Amino acid sequence: MITVNGIHVTFGRGTPLEKHALRGVDLTIPEGQFVTVIGSNGAGKSTFLGALAGDVIAETGSIAIDGVDVTRWATPKRASLVARVFQDPMVGSCTALTIEENMALAAARGRRRGLGFALRGDRRRHFRERIAELGLGLENRLHDRMGLLSGGQRQAVSLLMATLAGSKILLLDEHTAALDPGTAEFVLGLTRRIVEENRLTTLMVTHSMRQALDYGDRTVMLHEGRIVLDVSGEQRAGLDVPHLLALFAKQRGGEDITDDSLLIG
Amino acid sequence: MSEIAFFGAVEIGLVYALVALGVYLSFRVLDFPDLTVDGSFPLGAAVCATLLVAGVNPWIASLVAALAGSMAGLVTATLNVRFKILHLLASILTMIALFSVNLRVMGRPNVALLMQDTVLTPFYGLGLPDHVVRPLVVLVVVVVVVLLLARFLNSEFGLAMRATGVNARMARAQGVETDFHIYAGMALSNGLCALAGALFAQTNGFADVTTGIGTIVVGLAAVIVGETVLPARAMLWALVGCVVGSILYRLAVQLALSADAIGLQASDLNLVTAVLVAVALILPRMRLKAASKKREAVR
Ligand SMILES: Nc1ncnc2c1ncn2[C@@H]1O[C@H](COP(=O)(O)OP(=O)(O)OP(=O)(O)O)[C@@H](O)[C@H]1O
Ligand SMILES: [Mg+2]
Repeated sequence: MITVNGIHVTFGRGTPLEKHALRGVDLTIPEGQFVTVIGSNGAGKSTFLGALAGDVIAETGSIAIDGVDVTRWATPKRASLVARVFQDPMVGSCTALTIEENMALAAARGRRRGLGFALRGDRRRHFRERIAELGLGLENRLHDRMGLLSGGQRQAVSLLMATLAGSKILLLDEHTAALDPGTAEFVLGLTRRIVEENRLTTLMVTHSMRQALDYGDRTVMLHEGRIVLDVSGEQRAGLDVPHLLALFAKQRGGEDITDDSLLIG
Repeated sequence: MSEIAFFGAVEIGLVYALVALGVYLSFRVLDFPDLTVDGSFPLGAAVCATLLVAGVNPWIASLVAALAGSMAGLVTATLNVRFKILHLLASILTMIALFSVNLRVMGRPNVALLMQDTVLTPFYGLGLPDHVVRPLVVLVVVVVVVLLLARFLNSEFGLAMRATGVNARMARAQGVETDFHIYAGMALSNGLCALAGALFAQTNGFADVTTGIGTIVVGLAAVIVGETVLPARAMLWALVGCVVGSILYRLAVQLALSADAIGLQASDLNLVTAVLVAVALILPRMRLKAASKKREAVR
């Protein structure tokens, strides 16, 4: 469970470029819920996920995970609780290391890293089994550098890596945005499967209204650093893309949304 | 090249192989361009020589020298990590400071080791000529260091250190305390360079504050030569490449110096090395450019 209470984040405080990116966000996400997050460019979505992961520290308000106050925890410490997949496949993996080394790195998340071999025989076998489940034939390429994989393959492996250490929270920041539609579809399907199998509490940022409604149990809209829409259950089931777009437009003060190519579909 | 000159080149190549390994750790593994080396190498020599003169056991003196180098690495890492000074500048500050420190440690610009026992002394009387004994002993040290270092870099801790250098953001997201790994890596790197300095003092019979000048460039040259002749991804082979690179580099230098036709003298060494490293840094970029031009042409 994630409990966020009135968090504020300001970038570049006291400079001409000061940006109040989060302006009092409250959100409680029960265990196992899959939340999709939408909002226009600069709404604060990435900042919000960053605040959950520890990349940005909230200056006021509090964040608790499973009842533990993590507001002041830095990223490495929170990593035992939170797994992430980034938008840019390059950011989320070590391209110069092999696939199995990347997996070993992820498998040790939240554990003390000692002087034992990172890749022992039993671990290699385990990685091979797990990566075979992706159905991409990568089980024969464990010694290849991560950088040799395509963007889609890398996001698939990143998703798998997120499950290796048994953390209960998964943060996805537009993790299919850099992929072609077919591959994006595949990675989204994989996301759904992995979230269900591991009963992960998930936040997924997307610019696609279609995805926002098709995936997950609840949809949240951020605008100018605040949550302006929060739908789930019946209400959400009754929504379709045009509805959501209309709601979106209202929040943006009636701007002509058809200009915003990012919001279509 | 005479036999003595050959063994001499191998010996100095092996001593500087430890520098190459240290430079590999900072430049390649941590992606931390570190010039502290120019100070930590003579620091190792200074500490070791001073302790030997004071009658300390040579192995202990070498170990203390390595620890002193680690401290220097920690200073640079602290300036960078804790106080956000750019890594190059941070390392230059430490390097300059070490010049004074080294003078203080020795109390004078150089110390001669004439009668003192060194790590080599017990092996001199075993029937092999001295100029063969020296590289052999250093070789044993280098082999042990390579094996331990490869083992370390393949451990969970070492893997996290490599990830820190490759992609710090990802490493942190995987729970790696990247700052701590930078401290550890820099301490290890400069510890190795100081150990090289300690062996240098013992094989050459002196320590001098000026021996550090250009150490970093020599170390880099060795790493680059190694990567060229032994392009390997497995950790062990990459480290072996550093050692091979260091020896080949010294042999090439020796060859150039002994060929009268070229007319080089020992003092030209730094210039030659700098040119070599510059070319090695420029070449891959030129190759990339040529490749992209070709691709455009195809299109
Ligand atoms: N590190 C930073 N320094 C300064 N300003 C920042 C920083 N990160 C984000 N911002 C600003 O904070 C605001 C929110 O950015 P954020 O990245 O959270 O938006 P987003 O909703 O993820 O947008 P997008 O859909 O484009 O990814 C933006 O105005 C952005 O310019
Ligand atoms: Mg974003």
